[in-house]
Amino acid sequence: MPEKPIPEHDPITGKSFAIHYVVATIILIATLFWALYDEAWGQRPWKAFQDQWKNRYSAFLDTAKSKSSKSEQSVEQDPQYAALKQDYQKAYQDSKAQADEARRKLDDASARLLAVQSVFTDRRAYVNALTYELETSGSASAKASKQKEIDKYKAEQATVEFPDGTKKKFTFPQLEETYNEIRDERTKLSLDLGDVLKPVTAAKAKMDEYISDHMVDLTPQQIQGLKKRATEWDPAIVQINVAEANIVDRCESCHMNTREPLKVTAAAMTEKGAKQPDEYAQAFASHAQPELLQIHDPEKFGCSPCHQGNGRATTSIEKAHGNYEHWLWPLYPKENSEAGCQSCHSADMVLASGDVQWQTINNGKDLFRQRGCMGCHRYEGYDKEPEDLNFVGQQIKQIETQKKENVKNTADLMKQADAAESNDVANKLNTQAVDLRVANSKLDARLQQLDFQSHSLMQDQKKVGPNLKDARLKLNKNWIPVWLKKPSDFRPTTKMPNFRLTDHQIQAISAYIWQTGFTDVLPKHKPGNAAHGKELFEGRGCMACHSIGEGDQMQGGTFAANLTRVGEKANYDYLVRWIHNARQRTRPYCPYEKKDIGPEDYAKKNLPYVFDLDHSKCPNDGHELQVQNMTVMPSLRLSPEDAEDIATYLMSQKKQEPSSYPEAAFMDDPSLKEEGKKWVRFYGCGGCHEISGMEDEGRIGTELTYEGSKPIERLDFALFTEVAQRGGKGAEPIKDKEDLARLPDGPAKEPWYDHKGFFEHKLAEPNVYDQGKVKTETEALRMPNLHLTKEQVLDLTTFLMGSQETSLPQSYQYKPGDARHDIQEGWWVVKKYNCMGCHQFIPGQQTILMGLKQYQDAQEQLPPKLLTEGARVDPEWLRKFLSNPALSTTDTNRNGVRPYLKVRMPTFSFSDNELRKLVRFFEALSQQPLPYIPQQMPTLTAKESDMARSLFSSTAAPCLKCHATGDPGHDKIATAPNFLLAKERLKPDWVERWITDPQAISPGTSMPSGLFKQQNSQWVFAGPTPPTFNGFEGDHRKLLTDYIFQLTAEEQRRVASSMPRAKAAVQPSSNRKHAALESHHTAGGGSR
Amino acid sequence: MDWRQLWEICSAPDNVPIVGLIPLLAFYIYLAVKQARANDQLIEQLEADPAMAKTHHRKTWPFKPGWQKEVHVWPFLLRIEFLAAIIITIILMVWSITLNAPLEEPANPNLTMNPAKAPWYFLGLQEMLVYFDPWIAGVVMPTLIIIGLMVIPYIDTNPLGSGYYTWKQRKFSISTFLFGFIILWVAMIIIGTFIRGPGWQWFWPGQTWDHNRLIYEVNRDLPDIFGITSNLGKAIFGAIVVGGYYLVGGGAVYSLFRRRMGKDFSRMSLLQFSIMQFLLLTMVALPLKMGLRLLWHIKYVWITPWFNI
Repeated sequence: MPEKPIPEHDPITGKSFAIHYVVATIILIATLFWALYDEAWGQRPWKAFQDQWKNRYSAFLDTAKSKSSKSEQSVEQDPQYAALKQDYQKAYQDSKAQADEARRKLDDASARLLAVQSVFTDRRAYVNALTYELETSGSASAKASKQKEIDKYKAEQATVEFPDGTKKKFTFPQLEETYNEIRDERTKLSLDLGDVLKPVTAAKAKMDEYISDHMVDLTPQQIQGLKKRATEWDPAIVQINVAEANIVDRCESCHMNTREPLKVTAAAMTEKGAKQPDEYAQAFASHAQPELLQIHDPEKFGCSPCHQGNGRATTSIEKAHGNYEHWLWPLYPKENSEAGCQSCHSADMVLASGDVQWQTINNGKDLFRQRGCMGCHRYEGYDKEPEDLNFVGQQIKQIETQKKENVKNTADLMKQADAAESNDVANKLNTQAVDLRVANSKLDARLQQLDFQSHSLMQDQKKVGPNLKDARLKLNKNWIPVWLKKPSDFRPTTKMPNFRLTDHQIQAISAYIWQTGFTDVLPKHKPGNAAHGKELFEGRGCMACHSIGEGDQMQGGTFAANLTRVGEKANYDYLVRWIHNARQRTRPYCPYEKKDIGPEDYAKKNLPYVFDLDHSKCPNDGHELQVQNMTVMPSLRLSPEDAEDIATYLMSQKKQEPSSYPEAAFMDDPSLKEEGKKWVRFYGCGGCHEISGMEDEGRIGTELTYEGSKPIERLDFALFTEVAQRGGKGAEPIKDKEDLARLPDGPAKEPWYDHKGFFEHKLAEPNVYDQGKVKTETEALRMPNLHLTKEQVLDLTTFLMGSQETSLPQSYQYKPGDARHDIQEGWWVVKKYNCMGCHQFIPGQQTILMGLKQYQDAQEQLPPKLLTEGARVDPEWLRKFLSNPALSTTDTNRNGVRPYLKVRMPTFSFSDNELRKLVRFFEALSQQPLPYIPQQMPTLTAKESDMARSLFSSTAAPCLKCHATGDPGHDKIATAPNFLLAKERLKPDWVERWITDPQAISPGTSMPSGLFKQQNSQWVFAGPTPPTFNGFEGDHRKLLTDYIFQLTAEEQRRVASSMPRAKAAVQPSSNRKHAALESHHTAGGGSR
Repeated sequence: MDWRQLWEICSAPDNVPIVGLIPLLAFYIYLAVKQARANDQLIEQLEADPAMAKTHHRKTWPFKPGWQKEVHVWPFLLRIEFLAAIIITIILMVWSITLNAPLEEPANPNLTMNPAKAPWYFLGLQEMLVYFDPWIAGVVMPTLIIIGLMVIPYIDTNPLGSGYYTWKQRKFSISTFLFGFIILWVAMIIIGTFIRGPGWQWFWPGQTWDHNRLIYEVNRDLPDIFGITSNLGKAIFGAIVVGGYYLVGGGAVYSLFRRRMGKDFSRMSLLQFSIMQFLLLTMVALPLKMGLRLLWHIKYVWITPWFNI
C-alpha cells in the first residue's frame, strides 16, 4: 500500500489548475514583452547611443553657438572686413535709386500680369476642354458644331480689371497676346534689376566669403543646421556600404560625430557633473585626425579597413569592436591604431602628409630595417637585393653552362662536318655550328645585361652589421668573446642583439670568425692629433649618425654605432682606413665562384690588383665582383691626415685599456672552427654580417609579411597559452626586470592571448616562450634579445599587427603610378642612408644635427633644408652632385656647393638605380614636372649687363660678400654658394622667387628678404637704384637673375676685386650673418 | 582542480542541453523507479488477494465511491499537456533571448578547430569512432540502432506493463533500455562533451585542456599480443574470437532466458529470439570493446583486408 493516505476527493478530476495557468500565463506574457523589448532595444544598443547623442550634442551645440557668434563678431571687427563692408555699402548706395526704380517697374508689371493671368488661364482651360471634346467627337457634323462653339467662345469678350482700376475687354486671342507681352516685359525688368544689383551682390558675396574663411568655428547658420539635424534625428542605422570592397560599416550608428565638421571631444560630450567621460561620451568624439578623412573618404574606405573590428555588428560594443573570440580582426587598440595604415601602405617607407608624420608606424618600419629584422625574416619589399642577386646569379650560371655546351657542340659538329661523306651533309652541319655560335653571342649579350644588373644590385646591397671577414684586421682579439657575451653590456644602444650564447658557443663562434678572417697586411699609419680629430668628428657631421657618450650624456644620432668605447675594440690602422673610406674592401668577393679574390688571382691574369666600382670584373670569370663593403657608411672625402686625426680621437674613447681584456687563446684552436661554423649558421649571423662561408645563407626566421593575420593558434604561446587566455594573477610570464620594462603596458594583468600580446612579449623577451620548456641548445628559440625600449616595442608591434593579408581589392593598395610613386620609392633610399639625420625633408621635421649643442648658436652652419630642392635645382645637375658632392675629381676634400660649411656632404656611391630614384624623388616632392626642360636665358646687352652688375655689386646688396667666389681667402668667411654654379645648378624660376623672399622658402636662412619691392607689376630693387637705371622700365629681379645665369668666372673676379672686400673679411664669423642683415636693412630701408 | 576549465565547458551555449540533461535524466529515472516500486508492491498485494483486484481500477489506489471510473483525455490530460506546452514555450523563449547561436569564425580549411566536435547529440556516435572503423561506427552501428529500435515491438513478447510503471514485470526490457540509453548513448555523450579535449585526448573533469599536452599511448591489436603475424592468421584468429564471443554470449543469453525468463522465452519464436540475441550481444560488445581499448590499449580484435573490428 502507498505510504500516503488516500485523498478524499478524486485527485485527477477534482484538482484545479487555475493558479498554475494564471502564473504560467503571466510569465509567458512577461516573457513576450521581454522578447519585444529585446528585439527593439536589447539587440539594438545603438538606439540608446543615438538617444544620448541627441541630448548631449544639442546641448553642446547650444554652447558652441555662442562661442562661434562671438568669433564672428571678432572677425567682423577686422579692418579688411570693414573695407569689404564699406565697398558693399557704397555699391548699395550707388545703385539704390536705379534699383528702386527698377523694382517699382517690376512690381507694377507683376501686378498687371497677375490680373491678366487669372482671366486668361480660366478661359484657356475652357478652350482646351472644348478642343478635347472636338478631337474626340465621332462625326464630322459634331466636330463642326464644336468648332463653331469654340470660335464663338474665343470671340466673346472678357473683362480684365487692372490694378490701377481701369477695366478693359479682350477677345481670347487678344488676351493671349497681352498676357505674353506683359510676361516678356516682366522678364526683361527682372534681368535689368539683376544688372543693377550685380556690384552689390558681388560685394556681399565677398563679405560672406571673408567671414567663412576667417571663422575659427562654424557660422551660427551652420551650427543651427547641425542642431536641427540633431534634434530631428530619428533612430536609424547609419551605414557605409561599398559593394566593390565588401565593406559594410555601421560604426557611425553609435559614433555619430565622427564626421562632424567641428571638433567634438569626449570631454565636451560628457554629461554635466560626471567626472569621467562615460562610454557614450567616448563614442561621440569626432575623428581624432580629420585630415586623414580628407584623404581617405569614408564613403569609399569605410572604417573597418583601417581600424578593423566587425563593421556589420550592432548588437553590442564587444561585437562591433570585434573583441570576442571568434572575430579574427578585432579593433586595433588606440595605441596601435596606425597598424591600419600598413594594410594599404606597405609599399611606403614614410607616411607623411604635409607636416604630419605618422610616427608609430614609420618608426616601426624604420626599426624593422635598421635593427636588421629582415636579416632573418623575409618581409615583402624589404631588403630585396639579396634575393634579386641570387636570381641573377642563377641565370648567369645557367647561361654559362649553356654556353659551354654550345661550344662543345660546335666543335663536335665541325668535326663531324670534316668527316662528312657528302658536301650537303657537311654544309648542313657547318650551318648548325654557325647557328650555335650566333646563339652564344646572343647569350653573351644577355650575360652582359645580367652583369650590369648585378653591378647595380651589389652596389645597393647593404648589411646591417659590419663585415666580419675583416674581424682580424679590425678588432681587438680578446674583446670579441666579451662582446658576444652580452653586446648591450659593452654598448647599451647597439643594434647587435643578445643571443644568450653559452660560453662554449661564444668560444666556438669567435674562433670561427677569427680563423676565417682576412689576414692581409694593412698599411701602417702614424698617430694623429686627437684634439683636431675631435673637432672634425663633431664638425664634419659624423654625429648625424653616430653618438658619443652614454646615458644622459649621449649626443648624436642613433642610426649608427655609439662610439664611446670604440678605443677598446678597434685596431687603429683599420679605423683610419674605415674613416677614410668605409666602403673600401680588403678583398673583393666573387659571387659566381663563391670566393674572395686575392692578388694571386689578378697576378695569374697579369692584371693589376685594383678593384673599385669602375674595376669590378672578376679576373677569373669576368663576372661582377662585390668590390665594396656592404655598409651604408659613406666616404666623407677626408684627407688621410684628417682620417688619422679622427681615428686617433676615437681610439682615445675608452673606459678600460684594450690590453685589460683576458687573453682568448682558444680563438686560434682549429678544432673549434667547425663547431663555430655550425653555430654561426644556426644563429643566422650571415643575415646581418658578411662572414666567410656564409655569403649564400638564407634567412633563418619565419616570413613576417602577413604575420598579423596568422591564425592565433599558429602563434606558439607554449606553456603560457592558458595563462595568456585567462589573465589575472600570474598572467605575466616575464620575470627579468629589464625585459619587463620593455612592455609598453607594463606587466600583463588582463588576458593577452592575441597578436598584440604575443608580439609584445616576444619582442620584450624573445625567449619567453621557452620558459619552463625542456629544450636542447639547437631546439631553443633563436631570436635574440634586441634590447628595445618600451616605445620601440610598441612601434614594432604596431608594424607587425598591421602586416596582414588584406581582403580589400587591389585598387585600395596605395600603388600610385604617377609622381607619387617616385616619392614612395625615394623615401626608401632617403631612409636607407639616414639623409634625414642632416637634412630637413618635411616641414617641422627635426634633424639630428639640429639637436646638437654646437649648432644651437650657429644655425647657418646646418646643412641646407631640402624642402624645395626639386624646384630649386636642375635634376641633371642634382644627379651629378649626388654622385660626386665635391663636384670635382681632383679637389675632393671639400663641399662642392657650400665650401663654407664645416659639415660635409658625403659621397654615398649611389648606384645608378638609386640616383635615379633620388632625383625623381626630389622633383616629385616639389611637384616639378618631368622631364625638366631648361629655360632659354636671354643674352643681356652690354648696357643691361652694366646695370645688372651695378645692382649685383651695389652696397645695398653686396652679393659677393656672403656668396663664395672661389677665392680661398674669401671663401673661408662665405656663407652662401658660388654664383658660378647657378647656371648649371639652379632653375631660373626658383632663383627669381628666392631672391624675392628667401625667408618664405627657407625660414631662418641668412639670405636677406626684401631686396625687391613690387611696383606696377614689376619687381624693382628696394635699395637706392644705381644711376644707370634711370629710364629703365624692365623688371630688376629678372635682370639680376639673367645676369647671375650668365656670370663668368672672369666677370666674378672683376666684380669681387672692385668690391671693398677688406671690410667683410675683417668681421668676426659669429657676427657675420647679423652684420650682413644689418647692412641690408639700412640699405633696403628696413623693408624686410 | 581547474574549475575554470569545467565552467568553460559547462557554460558553452553548445553544451547547455547536455548540462540540463544530466539532472533531468536523474530526476525522471528516480520518478519512474519510485512509481514502479509502488506499483510492484501493489501487484504483489493484488496477486496475493484476488478479491482486492476487483476493487482496484486505478492501479495504485483502491476504488473510492464518487470517483469517476474512467478519466477522459479531455480535459484531464490535455489541460496538463497544455500547461506543459506553456512552460516549455517560456523556457524556449528565455533561452533564445539570453543565449545566442554559438557562431564561430569562417571555416578555414588550413586550420581546423581542435577539438572538432559534432553537435552534442551526436557526440556519442563521434566517440564510437575512437573504437571502430569509420564505416562501422558511422554506418553499421547507427543502422543497427535504428533497426533495433524498429524491431522492438516485434520481439517484445511480454504483454505486461502497458500503461503503468513496473520493474518486476519488465526487468529485462527496462535494464536493456537503461543500458542502451544511459550507458551507450548518454554516457558516451558525456564522455564526448566533458572528457574529450584537444587531440581527442582523455581529460578527467577539471583537468586543463592543454593543447600542448603530450601522452604516450601505444595501441596494439589483439592478434599481436598472441604473437600472430601473418595476415591470414590474424583474420582467422579474429574470426574465432568474434565468433566465440557470439557463441559463448549466445549460450549465456539462452541459459539466462531459460532459467530466469521462461515465460517470455516460451512465447518467443526462434527468429525473434535469435534477432534479440544478436542485437543484445552487439550492444554488449560496444562497452567491451571500449574497455579493451581504454584499459588495455587493444585496438582491433579481428583484422581482415576489408574490415577491422
